[in-house]
Amino acid sequence: MAEVEETLKRIEAHKGVIGTIVVNAEGIPIRTNLDNSTAVQYAGLLRHLTMLARSTVRDIDPQNDLIVLRIRTKKYEIMVAPENGFLLIVIQNPCE
Amino acid sequence: MSLPDVQGKRDTVKEQVTEEMLKELIHVYICETDSMSLLDIPSTFVSVDADDAETITEKNNQYAEVCRNRMGNDKYVDRSMQTLNGAAKNKHVQTDSMAMVDTATTVTTWDMYDTLRGPDFSYFSSASAASSLKEEVFGSSVNAESDLQLIMLSENFQQCLLVMERNILRNTFQPKLAAYRQLPVLEAMMQVNKHHLGSPVKPGTMEQRQEDTEKSRSQALERLWAFSCELSRGCSVSSMAWNKRNPDLLAVGYGEFDSSTQRAGLVCCWSLKNPTWPERVFHCDSAVTSLDFSANNPSQLAVGMHDGSIAIYNVHSQDNKSPVISSSECPNKHLGPVWQLRWTQQELSITGDEKVEALFSVSADGRISKWFVFNNGLDCIDLMKLKRIHNAKKKAGGNNTEKKSESVLSALTPGLCFDFHPTDSSLYLVGTWEGFIHKCSCSNSQQFLETFRKHFCPVNCIAWCPLSPDVFLSCSSDWTIQLWKQDRLNPVLGFTSTQMAVYDIKWSPKWATVFGAINEGQLEIWDLNSSILDPVAVQPAAPGVKMKSLLFATQTDCVLVGDSDGQVTVYQLKNFSVGESSQTLGPKRSPNNA
Repeated sequence: MAEVEETLKRIEAHKGVIGTIVVNAEGIPIRTNLDNSTAVQYAGLLRHLTMLARSTVRDIDPQNDLIVLRIRTKKYEIMVAPENGFLLIVIQNPCE
Repeated sequence: MSLPDVQGKRDTVKEQVTEEMLKELIHVYICETDSMSLLDIPSTFVSVDADDAETITEKNNQYAEVCRNRMGNDKYVDRSMQTLNGAAKNKHVQTDSMAMVDTATTVTTWDMYDTLRGPDFSYFSSASAASSLKEEVFGSSVNAESDLQLIMLSENFQQCLLVMERNILRNTFQPKLAAYRQLPVLEAMMQVNKHHLGSPVKPGTMEQRQEDTEKSRSQALERLWAFSCELSRGCSVSSMAWNKRNPDLLAVGYGEFDSSTQRAGLVCCWSLKNPTWPERVFHCDSAVTSLDFSANNPSQLAVGMHDGSIAIYNVHSQDNKSPVISSSECPNKHLGPVWQLRWTQQELSITGDEKVEALFSVSADGRISKWFVFNNGLDCIDLMKLKRIHNAKKKAGGNNTEKKSESVLSALTPGLCFDFHPTDSSLYLVGTWEGFIHKCSCSNSQQFLETFRKHFCPVNCIAWCPLSPDVFLSCSSDWTIQLWKQDRLNPVLGFTSTQMAVYDIKWSPKWATVFGAINEGQLEIWDLNSSILDPVAVQPAAPGVKMKSLLFATQTDCVLVGDSDGQVTVYQLKNFSVGESSQTLGPKRSPNNA
C-alpha cells in the first residue's frame, strides 16, 4: 500500500506531469491533484472514450485487451490506463 | 360457464412426474378411426347408364309438361310468403390495451466471447456491485475512501502504474533512448511541439543539425543519461552486470569499501525503460563487491560481499527481499571480500542437454572456490589456492604450506580478479595482489599452468578478448594496461595514458580492437587500429567524482560507467568503425617496453 502511494507520488513528480486522476467504477474521481471540476470533467469524458476504444480493440480480437490509450494533443498528452473497475488518467506536457 | 370447470379439471389432472416414470418405456398405438361424414350434397346429374335413368327422364318430362301447362291452368295458383326478421341487439366489449415496447440491442464480438467464457469476466459489474452494497451501508463520503483502498491494494493497479510511469518516462527520455537503440530520433516532432502556436517548422535549424553531425566524424563519446535515484546517491558503485536473458535489465551493486567505515550494501536492478527508479532494490548486510547473473536461471543474481559471504537473490518476483540462499553459515566461506563472482557453464552434463553451470568466486583470502547448493545453503570446494611467490624462481610443487620467516601473514595472496576463457571453460586466469597473473586449469588445483609477470602492483582486472582467440588484457594499479597473448610470457603491448591506477578494463563486444578502461579520473576508449599510444576518446569524470566500474552494452555501442556518487552514466560511442569484427591481432606487432 505504501509502495503504491510512493509510486503515485513519484509519477506526479516526474518532469512535465500536469496531473493525475484515479477514477472509480462509477466515474467519480477518487484521488487527484487537479481541482475537482477539471477532474470530474476529464473523468466523465474519458470514461466513454475509453470504453469505446476498449470495445474496438476487443471487437477485432476478443482475446486482446486495451492497456493504455494515449491522446497526443497540441498542448499536452493524455494517457488513460483502464483496468477492472477504474481508470488511471495522467496528463503530461512532454517538452516543457 | 364452462371455464371454471375446465380449470378445475386441469388441477386434478396434474400428477408428479418421477424419475422412474420418465425412464419408463411407453408404447403408443396408432389406429384409424371410423369415417365421419360431415357434409353430403348429392349430385344433380345422373349418368345415362344408371339404373333409374328411365324413371328420372320420365319425371323430368312430366315436370316440363306441368311447367308448360301452368299459365292458364286452374290446378295451379300463385301465392306469396314472408320471412320474419329477428330484432338486432348491440353489445359493447372492452379489453385492456396491449402495451408495445421497442427493444434493441447491439451485440459486439467481445460481448459474445465474454458470455461464453463465464460470469467472471464482466468489465464493470464486479466492482460496481461491491461498491453499490457499500453505498447502502455507509453513505457516499465513506464510499470514496473504501473504493480507493480497494483499488490501491489490487495488483492490477500496480501494474497500471508501472505501465503509466514507463510511458511518461518514455516521453521525456525519447531522444536518449532512441539514440541508445540506434533508432532515428523524432526531431521533427520536437520542433512541432515547440512551435505549437501554429508557425511552421523552421527548416534552418534542421539543416544546422545535419551540418553539426557531418563535422564531428571523429570518434567521440556522447553522454545519454544516468541511472540514479535517492537511494543510491552517495553510495559508490562497485560492480555492474547485465541480465543474460533480458538485455534491458542491469544489476548494479553499491558499496563503500575503500574507506574504513563499513556501510551496508545495496543492489539495485534497473530497467532501461525507467532510469529514475530501480525495478528491484535489495539491501545487503555489508558492502557489495561483485555481481553476476546466471545464464541457466536468468532470474538468479549472485552477490558477493565485503565480509566474504555470497548470497543468491531471485529478482523475478517483487516480494522477495531476502536472498534465496546465502553462504553466511557455510564453514568454508571466504574470510575476505569476494572480489569477483562468475557463473560459468562447464562441461556438458550427463544427459547432454544443458550445460552445468557453477558459481566461481575469487576472494581476498587467496582462494578460488566453486560453489554449489548444499543443505539449503551454499558450500564450496576450493579450486585453487593462490600461493605467494616471493622470488622469480619457479616454485616446486609441494611447498604450499611452508611459512616464510619474514612474514607472519598467511602464505596465500589475495586474488583480485579472474576470467574464464571464452571457448575453453576449464581454463582461467587469475590476477593477484602481488601483480602476477596465473593461468590455471580447473582440473589442476595444485599448480599454476603459467605465470605472467609484468605488473608490480595489484592487478585490478583481467579480460579475455571475446573476438580474438588467446589474447587478453590486464590492468593494474601501476598505471599500466598490458596486452598479452596466451603463449608468450611477456606482454605484447603496454599502454599508459595518465598517472593513475586503472581500475577496470573491458573489451568491446563488437569490435575486436576496441577496449575501454577507467582510472579514477576519466574513461578512456582505446582503438588499437587507430593508435596504440593514445586513447581515441576520453571522457573526464565530473569534478569530485571518481569513476569506479565499466560495462559495455551487448546489443548497442554504448558504455556504462559507475562512479563513486552512485550514478551509472550511459555514454554512446559515436563514429566507431564497423565491420572489423573478425580482425585478429597479428603477432607481428613489436612489443613495447611500457
